Amino acid sequence: MAVDIDLLILGLGNVLCGDDGLGVMAVHQIEERYDAPRGVRVVDGGTLGLALLPLLHEARTVLMIDAIRCEDAPGSVVRLEGADVSPAVRERLSPHDIGVAELLDAAELLGCSPTKIMLLGLVPDRMDLGIGLSPGVEAGMPALIDAILGEAAGLGHVLSLKPQRGVSDGARLWA
Amino acid sequence: MTHIVVDPITRIEGHLRIEAEVDGGVLRDAWSSSTMFRGIEIILQGRDPRDAWIFTQRICGVCTTVHALASVLAVENAIGAVPPPNARLLRNLITAAQFVQDHVVHFYQLHALDWVDVVSALSGDPAKTSKLAQSISDWPLSSEKYFSGVRDRLKGFVSGGRLGPFANAYWGHPAYRLPPEANLLAVAHYLEALEWQRKFIRIHALLGGKNPHLQSYLVGGMATPIDPNSETAINIGTIAAMHELIADARTFVNQVYIPDLLAIASFYKEWFSIGAGVGNYMSYGEFPHTEGPNAVPYLPSGIIVQRDLAHVQPVDPRQISEFVTHSWYDYKGGDARGLHPFEGETNPAYTGPKPPYDRLHTDGKYSWLKAPRYGDKPMEVGPLARMLVAYAKGQPQVKKAVNGALAALGVGPAALFSTLGRTAARGIETQIIVEKMSDWVDALANNMSQGDLRINDNTKWDPSSWPAECMGAGFHEAPRGALGHWVHIKNGAIGNYQCVVPSTWNAGPRDARGNRGPYEAALVGTPVAIADQPLEILRTVHSFDPCLACGVHVVDASKNEIVRVRAV
Repeated sequence: MAVDIDLLILGLGNVLCGDDGLGVMAVHQIEERYDAPRGVRVVDGGTLGLALLPLLHEARTVLMIDAIRCEDAPGSVVRLEGADVSPAVRERLSPHDIGVAELLDAAELLGCSPTKIMLLGLVPDRMDLGIGLSPGVEAGMPALIDAILGEAAGLGHVLSLKPQRGVSDGARLWA
Repeated sequence: MTHIVVDPITRIEGHLRIEAEVDGGVLRDAWSSSTMFRGIEIILQGRDPRDAWIFTQRICGVCTTVHALASVLAVENAIGAVPPPNARLLRNLITAAQFVQDHVVHFYQLHALDWVDVVSALSGDPAKTSKLAQSISDWPLSSEKYFSGVRDRLKGFVSGGRLGPFANAYWGHPAYRLPPEANLLAVAHYLEALEWQRKFIRIHALLGGKNPHLQSYLVGGMATPIDPNSETAINIGTIAAMHELIADARTFVNQVYIPDLLAIASFYKEWFSIGAGVGNYMSYGEFPHTEGPNAVPYLPSGIIVQRDLAHVQPVDPRQISEFVTHSWYDYKGGDARGLHPFEGETNPAYTGPKPPYDRLHTDGKYSWLKAPRYGDKPMEVGPLARMLVAYAKGQPQVKKAVNGALAALGVGPAALFSTLGRTAARGIETQIIVEKMSDWVDALANNMSQGDLRINDNTKWDPSSWPAECMGAGFHEAPRGALGHWVHIKNGAIGNYQCVVPSTWNAGPRDARGNRGPYEAALVGTPVAIADQPLEILRTVHSFDPCLACGVHVVDASKNEIVRVRAV
């Protein structure tokens, strides 16, 4: 494994489909407000499938950020790890039948799986066409950002607050 | 009469659904439906046209670069910006890399499993597989030991209960015809293709930055600077790295993809007479040689009607219109007439059954896709359309490659009008493009050495330089086929925006006159051996390379019972 990235924070989902884009929006917020230390990469993975394989190949630990459907109320933080991750993302069917689960399978087939994979996200409310989060999910975003920072800190990576808020094209357009 | 429904089983409402009537082991009629509303047009209204490409590249996870480029081309056409030669070369290279990667991934990761039985590969003899491999190619990974290792790896994966990408298929289906050794060879190359594409896609990082979504497009040209003396620009090192990746790609395509394609096709020759479809083909042309809106493309544009290769017609974009007679939209002026994209409307009006449902109302509206037509004709778009237009117009490289492939398979040109013809055309196109890429890299290097570092025309960047109202169209050939974006700009903002995408041309429903779309027409006459394992339907649908996922369930109309089959 060609490990250049200790921790990959990977936002997933489609920003054109309401709350489905919450993972992508979260990584853009982090990029605007925090500096990633050496060894940490914060990436907007959108709905790309196999195009993310090079990143996975380079990463030791992957923290995926995504909308996660479960019984909890919209906007609740959900965390999954290890064997629970793949079934949870299996239904994120991206075009071409190649979604996140297939991406993880491909990494395993090639023997380049990250050592550790975690999934962190919020329960979505509305995933129909449109840009922007529903109120319940919007309210959950600060907790999600805190959870991501906490997860990174637990792995020994401190993302420090930027002295001045940066500008991210994604955050500007999708806010 | 058995009614078969092919539909994704997923939490995401939508994607592609095929309903079909099967009688006596033959498909008699088919309806193609997208059950997901994709109204990017609505999202774009009122926005800055210079930002549009950032939104359109999110329409589709496998078609990011193509929607970005079509959008930029449409806005440039509207405001009159003319990108300099370097921008054209960079765009050609990004597009070409997308084609090559996409076509290889389609063949191995999506389509091969329609022809290759992974379970049978487990009983492939490594020594015989080695002999087979060496008889069709000089590719060095071909020893008995190598295939033995691949088989063990596959066994380990399968016995661990982790079938992964091989989980959902019809293994053991009688329509699989390859000997175990050919299956093992194909599985080995499935894995090699995954590994190869992971490395090759770096070419996009070289040209578009580290982010997996390209950031290098710009209305007027490109944003990534060219400078031989800068570490952060496209420089001499980038040129060398591109040459290396392209050389590897050429080797992989010529020594792995093409020999596999020919070997697999030789076992399934009856599929050269199944799945033809509408017989009309359209290509906008791609890879401009020269600058400006009337640039000459390397792969020519043209229209073929009723398989008539002797009379290729020029494409007249004014002939394009979209019907919603069978689509879940309303047109203000009624459904009987198609609308040109400049006057296009996107007024969703769902009248289908409430999900979950068994049957669509196929007599009425049954899809979220509109039905695009050229004049009054449905058009197939994609690699087959491009190769047929180029072949018929005598494009020398295409002519040579097509004739070579036909000779190797022992079939005539008529074989191209088929399911396997579509699959073969995709391989041939990959070869043509991967051979051409180095020329564009050389041209870029040459410009750089001459001191021409221009990458964009910024004279039209400021909206105050635009007319109060203007319209433009961007025509692009995506790997999946003809893609058009139409934009109407009013006072610096988007007034109307319409995309007519390849999967709409191919997967769209019937029109006002009841004419089937290309998928629907191609499926009629397809043999279906086992109704609840419609492998043959998937072969034809997948041969188009749909950018919509699909799965399967089955309705036996006579018993009125439904058997849901897992997504494949």
